Amino acid sequence: MSFLNPLLLIGALGIALPILAHLLNRFQVQRTDWGAMRFLNRNVRVRSRQIKLRDLFLLILRCMTLLLLVIALARPAWTGGSWLPGERRAGVVIAIDASFSMQQGEKGATRFDEALKRIDIIRDKMAPGDPVTLTVMGGDHRVVMRNMAYDHARFDQALLELKAGAGTLDLTNEPKRIARLVADMEAPQKEVYLITDGQAVDWKQPSTQLRDALAELGAQAQVIVTPVTGEEANLAVTDLELVSGVLRKGTTARYRATVRNCGSTPVSNIAVQCRVDGVEIDRKIVPLIKPGTTESISLFLPFHNAGATRITAEVTGDSLTTDNVRRTVAVVRDRVSILCVDGSSGDAGRLVVSALMARAEGNNGEDYVARSIPWLAFPAENLDQIDVIVMADVPEITEQQATQLQRFVRRGNGLIWFAGDNVKGAAWNDRSGSTQSPLLPATISGTVRTSDSLGAGKPLDPNMPDHAVCAPLMSLPEDLLSETRFLSMLKVDPSPTSFPLLQLAGGGGPILLEHALGRGQVFMFTTSAETSWNNMALTPVFPLVMQQIVTYLSGREFERPRSVGDSLTLTYIDQPDANDAVFETPTGETITVPVREVGGQFVALLENAYEDGYYTARVSVQSAGIPIAVNVDPHESDIRCLPQSELRTTLESLGLKMVTNNEELAATIDSTRTGRSAWRIFMIAALAFLLFESLLADRMLARGKSRAKNPLDPHPQNA
Amino acid sequence: MSLDLPPTNYLDPVLLQKLGDLELIAREVVEGLRVGSHRSPLKGFSTEFAHHRQYVPGDAIRNIDWRVFGRTERYYTKLYEAETNFDCHLLIDASASMNYASGKVSKLEYAKFLSASLAYIVLKQRDSVGLSVFDSEVRGYLPPRSTMSVLLHIDRMLREAKSVPRTTLSKQLHDSALMMKRRSFVVVISDFFADVDDILSGLDHLRYDGHNVVVMQTLDPYELSFPFNGTWRFEGLEMEDPITTQPERIRKDYLASLQEHRESLRAGCVASHIDYALVDTSRPLDGFLSEFFHERETTMGGGYAAPRQ
Repeated sequence: MSFLNPLLLIGALGIALPILAHLLNRFQVQRTDWGAMRFLNRNVRVRSRQIKLRDLFLLILRCMTLLLLVIALARPAWTGGSWLPGERRAGVVIAIDASFSMQQGEKGATRFDEALKRIDIIRDKMAPGDPVTLTVMGGDHRVVMRNMAYDHARFDQALLELKAGAGTLDLTNEPKRIARLVADMEAPQKEVYLITDGQAVDWKQPSTQLRDALAELGAQAQVIVTPVTGEEANLAVTDLELVSGVLRKGTTARYRATVRNCGSTPVSNIAVQCRVDGVEIDRKIVPLIKPGTTESISLFLPFHNAGATRITAEVTGDSLTTDNVRRTVAVVRDRVSILCVDGSSGDAGRLVVSALMARAEGNNGEDYVARSIPWLAFPAENLDQIDVIVMADVPEITEQQATQLQRFVRRGNGLIWFAGDNVKGAAWNDRSGSTQSPLLPATISGTVRTSDSLGAGKPLDPNMPDHAVCAPLMSLPEDLLSETRFLSMLKVDPSPTSFPLLQLAGGGGPILLEHALGRGQVFMFTTSAETSWNNMALTPVFPLVMQQIVTYLSGREFERPRSVGDSLTLTYIDQPDANDAVFETPTGETITVPVREVGGQFVALLENAYEDGYYTARVSVQSAGIPIAVNVDPHESDIRCLPQSELRTTLESLGLKMVTNNEELAATIDSTRTGRSAWRIFMIAALAFLLFESLLADRMLARGKSRAKNPLDPHPQNA
Repeated sequence: MSLDLPPTNYLDPVLLQKLGDLELIAREVVEGLRVGSHRSPLKGFSTEFAHHRQYVPGDAIRNIDWRVFGRTERYYTKLYEAETNFDCHLLIDASASMNYASGKVSKLEYAKFLSASLAYIVLKQRDSVGLSVFDSEVRGYLPPRSTMSVLLHIDRMLREAKSVPRTTLSKQLHDSALMMKRRSFVVVISDFFADVDDILSGLDHLRYDGHNVVVMQTLDPYELSFPFNGTWRFEGLEMEDPITTQPERIRKDYLASLQEHRESLRAGCVASHIDYALVDTSRPLDGFLSEFFHERETTMGGGYAAPRQ
């Protein structure tokens, strides 16, 4: 026998109270000599003995009442055979996979619908009052019901509101989350039902962390995994990214859409639509995609208007529609203006401008301007029309200029900083500021030589291949990339918010660092733009990197699409007038988010964007919205299920049960639910004892009172 | 309890002053050697003529006044009235049960006060007082005397009385009856916690010997009301087994048993022409004596006084 509230058993010490009272009563016996003993005759003596026995009986009744009450409150429970008394009770935690893979299937017969039928079976085996927790795995990890007493109507209502979302299943962390829910539950027997589609990507090779978590959950409760299956054919648009072109009005940018066949059969003639602000602009046909492979197509999108533009790539004819769409946002500018502030003794400014203007289409009129000025002329410049500033070997700036640059970047513009012989590190460190959000992503310690004894510099090594700046470098031939050599560089101490994008090969120091400042970005080269410290400006790497950086910087914060489950941030340049920002979800829900000051910046953070589609962020209710594309995680698109035999082997090795259909599920519940709750029995027994004791005591008291009211003595006196 | 009492002066002047105006008026006049203030119950033996009464069948022929018959030719009987001395025997139960006291005065002490007071009254009337103190046997006997110095002997004997458990009360009454040579006024002071039939047999013995008997059943107020509450252990004064009980639960049975005993004793006394009085030791002694004598005075001449309860 076990107790659900074992601490309450301490209350059993209360049994000492009636015993103590009884003993005190006995010890408090008053004594007197007595002459008229003959009138305490035999009958009286017999009655006295009866009273003793009755008192003892009352004491036993009181002790038993207290003991039974304490036991009842401690919620006794046991598991075992059906001959044991008590009600069959179980605390049930139902965790249903609500990731978008569960949407696979025809309407009304999706995997999620099948999962709901499994819940119906579990529900039919529950008794009113049983503790039940209903939680959603994947997506927003919502706990629909938490340790509530089972009520048929409420449970059904909760089921009606359940639906598969756009999230992914984070299987590694789900067992721990469920274990916490189980721990909160008090029941004679705890049962956990995991209803999932058992995707092979999750269950094929469970990590050690997942196995440990499942084993721990199995030790805490009886875990029954019931997989639901369905069709496995699925196409998904897994990526949509800008490949080339500056997002400028009147230009055409090239985007690349990636389509993956996640099924087990080839799919042919796949139509891919590309829409801009809802209007189909381009359509491509992919002749064939083999199972498990991807195909990329280029989409050329002309931008006729400036402003935020919603771009969508979508495949048609696939039943699981959630991952058929990929979205992104392009903030198209009227023009892009780059200002290079040249502080070098050589021609750094010229090299930078040349690199930026080295385009196939050349200098495309006034819509794309890159110019260089001497650093001494910088204070006279109006920065309002500038999108990106390049500081090349600028010795130092004034404090006013530092503040001006801070505001420039925080507004959403970009800053590219180059080292050089003229740079005064101490001055830049001082002007950059030592606050939590300095202008530059690193402080300067000095200059180091990176060339070997023969005078050969070290080559370049992209540190983040997936980054938009690094990605084009990865497509360069290796020998071309290795031609870039660095002889000197600054020794820097990166700030905590920065990260290196390029570094010297062989674990050398960082060449290019990036950090965010307000709504803009700052790129810091620890080497020079001209050829005294490297030969970068003479290689194809330089224009490639510079143009990618400008493209990256001239974009806006929300051009980069987010995934379901990510948090969305809205960064303010200055302290806003409104205290709250507003986010509108793709389904039209409005969420108000307070603006907080974090590290000297004002941001509004929407945690867990759990819908896919376009969110709209507003700095206030009346202001214009900024679209944010939120896509599903393509990892979930691989909806192939692990074969049941393999899944069973995996689960049984962890001590977990697996049932594959409704009948087996019902039979398993019947056979394994042996937990019995006996608190009602003890409570009823306690009340019966209490009633009996009360009646007996009341009867005795009534007798005593009737005697006291009828004294026979002519001179009654009170003791 | 009574053990805390200061040395008892049974002839407390204050108490006796209160009793000074009271006279013990015997219900029946006993034969006396000395002329006192009591009317002799043996009319015709007295030399002092009282009055004539017309003869009725059954009167002694020798009492017919033949001179009156000669003058009136009617039979008249001569009636005499004489003041006689009488002996008063005080029989005090000194058994252990008499030691019970709920207050400061035990039953035995109260009995001692009572007997001393009665003796004083009797001596003040120039009658004789004798005393018997008994428990399981007669512990002390003082023949009747009429001098006030007798009170000193009575006082000493009462002081020396040691209570022991009693076996039978009737035996002591029989023994006392044998020691009385003359018809006397006998006052028995006891709680009479004994078998009623035994008690009555002893009392009847006294009555058969021609004694005028008064029974004073002396009880403590707690014995009368049994007012205990809570848990009590009763330890018998006469070597009975102790009883631990909750008195409020057995009060009804106890009072019923006591009432039954008292009623049996009272009924037996009435049947034997014995005066019965209940003495509640919580009552003032003078109050009790005043009431007792008043009752006897009002019932004198009307036969035997009705028993008091």
